[in-house]
Amino acid sequence: MSDQEKKAVDRAEISKMLEKKAPEMKRILNYCVHCSICAESCFLYMSHDGDPQYMPSYKVINSLGKLYKKNGNVDHEFLEGIKGMVWNNCVLCHRCYCPIGIDIPRMIDFTRSICRSQGVFPKLDEGESWL
Amino acid sequence: MIIAERKPFEEIKEMVKGYKNILNVGCGGCTSICLAGGQKEVNQLNAELKKENPELNIDSLVIERQCNYDFFVDLDEKAPKYDAILSMACGAGVQFVAERYTSIPVFPALNTVFCGVDRNVGWFEENCRTCGECVLGDTAGICPVTRCAKGIFNGPCGGTRIDGSCEVDPDTPCAWTEIFNRLTEQGRVDKITEVKPPRLWQNQVRRTLIQEDYKARYAE
Repeated sequence: MSDQEKKAVDRAEISKMLEKKAPEMKRILNYCVHCSICAESCFLYMSHDGDPQYMPSYKVINSLGKLYKKNGNVDHEFLEGIKGMVWNNCVLCHRCYCPIGIDIPRMIDFTRSICRSQGVFPKLDEGESWL
Repeated sequence: MIIAERKPFEEIKEMVKGYKNILNVGCGGCTSICLAGGQKEVNQLNAELKKENPELNIDSLVIERQCNYDFFVDLDEKAPKYDAILSMACGAGVQFVAERYTSIPVFPALNTVFCGVDRNVGWFEENCRTCGECVLGDTAGICPVTRCAKGIFNGPCGGTRIDGSCEVDPDTPCAWTEIFNRLTEQGRVDKITEVKPPRLWQNQVRRTLIQEDYKARYAE
């Protein structure tokens, strides 16, 4: 087990970070109508034969959305679990389009910040791949 | 991808000398991938600086890109609280940060080295000098600007050794010998006889690119 994995999760810190972005998160969780228009604007989704795991809305709802619903009460395993979704499945190209105006890349960016704050990020020097 | 390496510690230490409250900003893009300026490297540099000067207040923040203001939301909030910023991005990112916070000195913690490829973990090779006039279609995918010691467009130069290495360095393969061999393999060695005109060397001035489809948008 690496040092990253051993680090205990500071739930209060995650909760504080989430609180700061609460209005934006409420917006995405309440207003996303699952129209899937964002999906077709994502080149990763298109190049993976429409694999729903690459759908921009899926990535946000299943990472930041879950973090928000749990109010930051997550463990290291949870953060490790969403790491692939926000790093490997999204390159933050800012090309995804949401007709409602949800800033999807900003949410992914924010999720990465939360992971980083807990020492969870790609271990590239240990041979972990990015894409 | 842009490849960078950390500056010598003494140089970094000298740059930030006299500043007591510093924010070290990592980049989640290229410099993370080339293991020079990501989260781990930011933490490491901060620990070294702190060890050198225990009085120093140095915080860290990694933003996903320092070359795109869309990712500056958190930095905008934090930057004004510091006397100086250390940037662990490439030169483009450092300049973008400096342009945004003009009243705060921004120092580069990295040297931007080249545009290259990953050979293995921590092993990178230069493959492109971004000259702006790509000839790879005629040179079998081998860049003479990057890989020929003389950067010549019409080669070989006559300094190729008998074993196919370069006269400048026996450990470096002659790029034009490699171009010849690969063009031969592809059955189009005649391409090597086409004389290329002198270059414009557009990279002598700062370049801006707006893709064709977006020119109307920025016409004003």
